[in-house]
Amino acid sequence: MVAIWRKDLVQEWRLRQGIVASLLMGVATVVGVGFAALGQTLSAGLQAGLFWVALLFGLFPALARGFIVEEETGTADLLRVGARPVSVFWGKWLFHATLYLLLSAVLVPLYALLVAPLKGNLLSWLLLWLGGGFCLTSVLTLCGALTAQAATRGALLAGLSFPLLLPLVLILIAGTRQALEGSFPAEPLQGIFGYALALSAGGAWVFERVWQE
Amino acid sequence: MWRLECARLGKRFGERWIFRGLELALETGTVLIVRGANGTGKTTLLRLIAGLLAPTEGTVVLRMNGKAVADRRRYLGWCAADGALYRELTGYEHLRWWAQVRGLPAEPDLLLAHLERFELGSRAHERVRAYSAGMRQRLRLAIATYGTPPVLLLDEADAGLDVAGLNLLRRTIDEQATCGIVCFATNRAELIGWGNLALELGA
Repeated sequence: MVAIWRKDLVQEWRLRQGIVASLLMGVATVVGVGFAALGQTLSAGLQAGLFWVALLFGLFPALARGFIVEEETGTADLLRVGARPVSVFWGKWLFHATLYLLLSAVLVPLYALLVAPLKGNLLSWLLLWLGGGFCLTSVLTLCGALTAQAATRGALLAGLSFPLLLPLVLILIAGTRQALEGSFPAEPLQGIFGYALALSAGGAWVFERVWQE
Repeated sequence: MWRLECARLGKRFGERWIFRGLELALETGTVLIVRGANGTGKTTLLRLIAGLLAPTEGTVVLRMNGKAVADRRRYLGWCAADGALYRELTGYEHLRWWAQVRGLPAEPDLLLAHLERFELGSRAHERVRAYSAGMRQRLRLAIATYGTPPVLLLDEADAGLDVAGLNLLRRTIDEQATCGIVCFATNRAELIGWGNLALELGA
């Protein structure tokens, strides 16, 4: 798992394809939203929605392509023969989680600066950020793996990700709105961590079954 | 003692059967040369054995001392002429990565000595994108043979190799035959003498 994570990290460091595309998308989204919201007081619900939309827009270009690039360049066979499926899944997940951390380090402060300050309880924000990151990373890793071998992978990826991402994003927005309003988002966090548990248990299992022909 | 068994093996793409009812039993010491015209299924057979394709019918089983192993991919070395490598990694990084994912020793001295065996020692720390076709093929061979896997699958592994590279391939096959099984698919008629068993597909 660590070997796969390190291999992906070294490649990304030397090519900087995924992270640059993701940063451009994310920064463009936050700056665009910032200009649109200039001089206006945004409601907590709108702030929460824009926050997660900006992060999701930033994440999508890099995360969804992890497995697709392996298939397109033909290196997926090397992975299949060499590594256990569970190691491949969690190695890729770890790499995607690293990208999430790096993107967040840029996009979250930028959002706070240009769109709206992150008010409320710090612990709530931290839990939402960690739980949300875990789930978004898992969904995009799994969907990327499921669609990588399909001829119409672009459309399939969007179609497959949508029903998995939509409920997650809605829970994250609900939780973030509560955090912005100063209350602890207990119920949304339960939902997020339940979702994370289901994904971590089911994701690797599903992956092992599709990581074949 | 290793034994690789293919029973009633068949593969179909769409409506077209590539081959059907293939029976094979290979034991330690066997060097199988797979021959056949283009499109007769040499690569397909090796990919089925490697577990990279699912058979339409039949089974592939690898046994050690009579007992079937659960995940045969862990016991295979795979070298294909069209097998992709990570262009941004060096030869050394490739072999280290392979050793780590396979749980094999990954000490620098061991890795460099193995690369040296394939005459890549002096270029070990260069990125693969700077390698020639022949050097890439040597690197694929180095990866496939690291840790001496009991089954070595070579899909046109002679492609792109010069005379010295072919001699190296011959030596590698001979060494592998002392402790495992080799399946070598090739289009070159003159290499049939490298094996002790031949399979002509599409005949």
